[in-house]
Amino acid sequence: MTLLAPIFLFGLLAIGLPIWLHRVSSDNPNRQFFSSSMFLEPGEPQRVLAKQLQYLLLLALRVGVLVLLALAFAGLVLQRTGVTTESESSAFHLMVLDTSLSMSHGRRWDRALAEARAIINGLEATDFVQLVVAGRTTQTIAESSADKGNITRALGVVEPGLFRIDYGELMDSVDGLLREVELPAVLHIITDAQEISLPARFADLAPRIPLELQIYNVAALDDQNWSVDGMLHLPEADELTVRVRGFNTESVEKHLILRLNRQQIARQQIVIEPNEFARATFRNLDLAVGSNRVSVGFEVKDELEVDDQRFLVLDQPVPSPVLLVGNNPQRHDMLFLESALETLDQRSFRVERVRPLSIRDHDLSLYAFVVITDAGSLGPDETDLLADYMETGGSVLMALDQGAMGLERVPLGGQILQTINQLGGITGLGYAVVGVMDRSHPGLQNIDELRSAKFFRYVNIAPQPSDQVLIRLDNGSPLLVESGWGKGRLLLFTSSLDREWNDLPVQPVFVPFIAGLGGYLSGNIGLINEARLGSSLTAGTLGIQGGQIFDPRGDRVLGIGGTGDEVLVDQVGFYEVVSGGATQLIAINPDPAESDLAIMDSNTLEGWQDLGSGVEEQRVISGIETIDAQPVGLWPWIVTMLLIIVLIESWVGNYHLNVRRGASA
Amino acid sequence: MSEKATSTPQDLLKPEVLAGLSNLELVARAAVDGFLTGMHRSPFFGFSQEFAEYRAYAEGDDTRFIDWNVYARTNRTYVKRFLGETNTHLVVLLDASASMGFGSTEISKLQYAKYLAATLVYLAAKQHDAVGVIIFDEEVREHRPPSSRAGGLSGVLHAIDRAALGRGTNLKAPFERFRQYQSGRGLVAVISDFYCNPADMMKGVQPLAYQGQDVILFQLLDPQEMEPQLTESTVLEDLETGESTEVSPVFMGSRYRNRIGEHIDHLKDVAARAGAGHELVRITDSLKIALRNYLLFRQRRG
Repeated sequence: MTLLAPIFLFGLLAIGLPIWLHRVSSDNPNRQFFSSSMFLEPGEPQRVLAKQLQYLLLLALRVGVLVLLALAFAGLVLQRTGVTTESESSAFHLMVLDTSLSMSHGRRWDRALAEARAIINGLEATDFVQLVVAGRTTQTIAESSADKGNITRALGVVEPGLFRIDYGELMDSVDGLLREVELPAVLHIITDAQEISLPARFADLAPRIPLELQIYNVAALDDQNWSVDGMLHLPEADELTVRVRGFNTESVEKHLILRLNRQQIARQQIVIEPNEFARATFRNLDLAVGSNRVSVGFEVKDELEVDDQRFLVLDQPVPSPVLLVGNNPQRHDMLFLESALETLDQRSFRVERVRPLSIRDHDLSLYAFVVITDAGSLGPDETDLLADYMETGGSVLMALDQGAMGLERVPLGGQILQTINQLGGITGLGYAVVGVMDRSHPGLQNIDELRSAKFFRYVNIAPQPSDQVLIRLDNGSPLLVESGWGKGRLLLFTSSLDREWNDLPVQPVFVPFIAGLGGYLSGNIGLINEARLGSSLTAGTLGIQGGQIFDPRGDRVLGIGGTGDEVLVDQVGFYEVVSGGATQLIAINPDPAESDLAIMDSNTLEGWQDLGSGVEEQRVISGIETIDAQPVGLWPWIVTMLLIIVLIESWVGNYHLNVRRGASA
Repeated sequence: MSEKATSTPQDLLKPEVLAGLSNLELVARAAVDGFLTGMHRSPFFGFSQEFAEYRAYAEGDDTRFIDWNVYARTNRTYVKRFLGETNTHLVVLLDASASMGFGSTEISKLQYAKYLAATLVYLAAKQHDAVGVIIFDEEVREHRPPSSRAGGLSGVLHAIDRAALGRGTNLKAPFERFRQYQSGRGLVAVISDFYCNPADMMKGVQPLAYQGQDVILFQLLDPQEMEPQLTESTVLEDLETGESTEVSPVFMGSRYRNRIGEHIDHLKDVAARAGAGHELVRITDSLKIALRNYLLFRQRRG
């Protein structure tokens, strides 16, 4: 019911009564007879004015009582829905601002804000609008409101981020936001219409609920961008190759600046052809021992600055010593192993060859791990030394070779040797290949092509119950078994590491296989030095038990106390992870996809926009005219106000009554 | 025990009690009896036929009061003196102007004035004095010369009882009328609220003083006239002129009170200079106070 309803207007007529009474009262002020006016004189004007104000107050209170009475009987209600109060012509406008990285290019953001303000200014007074930003996730900035000023103010605090947008995921989020809205919905998407942000299927752009779709493209056709696309470091050659790329560009000359540990160490000119890649190579980096911060960027920034620089962490570790134990240093297995370990990336290991009897002459605790080429070559004393070494956390890679033929049990591991299976020879036809491999094991994660190796001879063992068989041959026999011993670990390879029992050492996979096992045994596996923007860093992904994480600005963003703690990587640059007295650097770079400013073609854009339905069409489809909004009665508030005013009126009226009574007495 | 059973004769002097009596003569008798009963050993002589004392005869004394028995025993002439015995007259000048109709309690000033006048004439008649009354407002409305004849008192009381509110106040007229008809020495009691110029009043009183009359002015005022209590601005309408004046409570609480106080003082001063007495009577006060002051005044003039 509106305030123009006849019953309400009729009730308002009652306010004429107090007005008339007060008029009569004003015309007939308090009057008394008195003996003589001989000593009287007229009163002060302000007293008369005060009396008039008192009368007006009393009149206002009495009129207010009657108006509230009329309101109470008129049954005034407040029409409400879940989030809005609407008229029949109201619509719900969901305004989505693309805040992906590419929106910070040039004047795109300014154009987006101007477009948003124009939309707000064009809305009807009864319309409702909600402001949402979309980047890595969809986030509501201003809740649904008819207060357009509130939305305009909210625009002032929004700015583009560093993440990329996916239009398919955006439409999924919109579906959730609009599901509860009962009004006709209009979805405004203010974006730069990046082609690379389209989902794989066009159908994913379709809204799940009826809505009118308005897409505002704020990108300019001549927007250009150059980015540092990637970096590749070759430790052997001490070279750093940098790749740059132009998007929608003409041929230009640019200068690249190489910074090592925040110091500029090189500057190089590069010519970038239109829409092409270009490469530049920096040599003689002279890396320091440990982790190095390397960044390469354009000397002069373009209109999208974030992708003009790229970050990389280059480690220059101190080679860890590995003790290689074998009866005959001239055997091929020793040669193969040493070559494999010392030709690894970043030269992580330094190999020392010794005979079994010489083990006692070395302090095993100084070695990253120990390799035993033939388990049968170990005597009891050597076995005890190695047992003590493993007890305190040492790691051993042990192979079974000719010496194992006289053993009943494997030294250290304790597995029972059952048979030595001879399937053939290098020239023979019989052999076994790798059947099952546990690729989730850290030492085997990057191993491919192991199936190409042929195993002619191996020792069939019975694993201990606590053992973990990492690789089995295709006939089911264990090939690689992991055993625990104290705080240390033992990897038992049931064949030899030379060419006598298999051809693994001559396969290309041998080096990464040994590298993976070596990395696992030395404890360096799993460390990361690069992460994507928007990913999460946890103790588990960092391979640490506890520590602190500092963002590129140096602010501590997380103290990791357990595996559940995580930090969202939302800045580009170098994050520092401090744990156990060591500092681990992680390079964060923006998603290269955001550098590609190519706009989706007009057909796609129009087709997407046509997936929506008009507001009037929505009214017909959903029967919104008949929506029975839940009315909220205002009578409790009116009655409360009425009681308050009645009390005040009684007090003021009683005061006047007392005055008159006293005056007439 | 009921309230009536605990009432004393003194209660009869309260205006609100007298207001319950319809007959003015009854009012006067009740008031005087109550007054005399409460006095016990009255210090006032000349108010009863009770023997009081002897004194030596002096020239001019009425020979009827010589105690010849004493003369026979002592060969000296002594005169008997009785309590309350007088041989004068009392004329009451009663103001019945419109202003006398004001009253903020159960009775108006005129009503109180009637009680007071009736009580005075009753008291005087009881002493065998001649009593008369002049009722006036702007002019003399009724005049009953003093008389000590039987039935004189009733006539005077009836005249007082009939007095009704008139218009304005003019003291000059009753005083002139009094001088025209009264030559002997006596008492003149003027009962009024005296809303007049004190100088004008003096012109009327002073000739009476020269004539040898003892004049006493009873100024009757309502408490609201002396200490008005207003809580808001009020239009006050003059009962005599009809003039309206809107006054504020502040004014009535301060400057008005000063003005009425100054007027009373001025009136009292003028009366003293003219050889007259002045008694301010609140109409809420007991008649006892007025009667007592009257008797004191009469004793002084004795």
